[in-house]
Amino acid sequence: MTAAAPTLAHDWYPRPLPPNVQLGERTFLHSAHAFVHCASRRPVAVAVGDDSGVYHGCHFDLGPEGVVRIGRFCTVVGAVFATSGTVRVGDHTFIAHEVLIADDACAVPPGGPGEGDPDHALPDIDAPARAPRLRARIDIGADVWIGARATILGPARIGAGAIVAAGAVVTGDVPAGSTVAGNPARVVRRGPWPA
Amino acid sequence: MAYDVGRATGDWDYGELGAMVALGAGAWIERPECFERCRSTRTPAVVLGDDVRVFGWTTFNLEPGARVTVGAGTTLVGAVIMAAEQVDIGADVTVSYGVTIADCDFHPTDPAARHRDAEASAPHGDATRRAPLVARPVRIGDGAWIGIGAIVLKGVQIGAGARIGAGAVVTRDVPAGATVSGNPARPADGEER
Repeated sequence: MTAAAPTLAHDWYPRPLPPNVQLGERTFLHSAHAFVHCASRRPVAVAVGDDSGVYHGCHFDLGPEGVVRIGRFCTVVGAVFATSGTVRVGDHTFIAHEVLIADDACAVPPGGPGEGDPDHALPDIDAPARAPRLRARIDIGADVWIGARATILGPARIGAGAIVAAGAVVTGDVPAGSTVAGNPARVVRRGPWPA
Repeated sequence: MAYDVGRATGDWDYGELGAMVALGAGAWIERPECFERCRSTRTPAVVLGDDVRVFGWTTFNLEPGARVTVGAGTTLVGAVIMAAEQVDIGADVTVSYGVTIADCDFHPTDPAARHRDAEASAPHGDATRRAPLVARPVRIGDGAWIGIGAIVLKGVQIGAGARIGAGAVVTRDVPAGATVSGNPARPADGEER
């Protein structure tokens, strides 16, 4: 893991990456705009492992304690990570378009006083009247496949090799190697699909 | 010319919205593009109360006669609001990511009418031949939570403090304080999610 380049050569958004974002070797990240709502004060808020791609549509809306760790050889097409807790994504995992990975069903980006990059004009007002923001733990294993528009709500643990079908709403545990689908997501297959 | 970061972070001149939007004190709009699809000729077309927060994923997609009101302290993270007539969102409401709220089907469901409407809606079609819009206003009560990816359809009234689960498709009224989830949305069985 090496320190992030301060800016991305291809970026449309003329801001440096936050200093607490780490990109591995041979990674791709679409834009520093992915961190426009990143309020994490953790030393390493977001780490992307070697050979992983974080593509257009990905955003890291992290609260002050939020952490996202993405493994190696991951393809993250378009996920929003909305967490004040910790999300881990194992190696060789695929995440499709418009996936939401969030602490709770009604997550919002951070935006309280003093949160975020002071250069970013996040609104300086209290969060709306709602329960204290959860700090959930979400563990997504290696070789997991998450379909388009799936929602993963914390706390959740998705076992290695599992498949989350498109549009599924997952919370809790998904057994390794199983396929879950629907809202709420249920196991529809225990083992691997025929080749 | 370098991109103006303020236009992605809420630091832009809201005055450029003109009479289209009535802004409460402390209202914050992350991106001007939120209003690109607002075709309403009403003044104001959109009423935002005090301290409303509108994140950049939000789209106000209004037909010419439509009005949308949003109460004080409400946060809109990622709502596509499709309004032909009237959508009223109360105070201190939270609308999470990837939500759709629509007060109309916008296109007829009868096959023959749909056929004519499709031709009238074509890029170079005669829009005056489009089927009339049949709208049924949507109202979301104070303090309600609309979960990630939920869809709220025409005529729905969501009571104060109700909670709409992630991915719910809401086609019927939701009583105040109730929790619903699923497609179609039904009262949740115990667990709040």
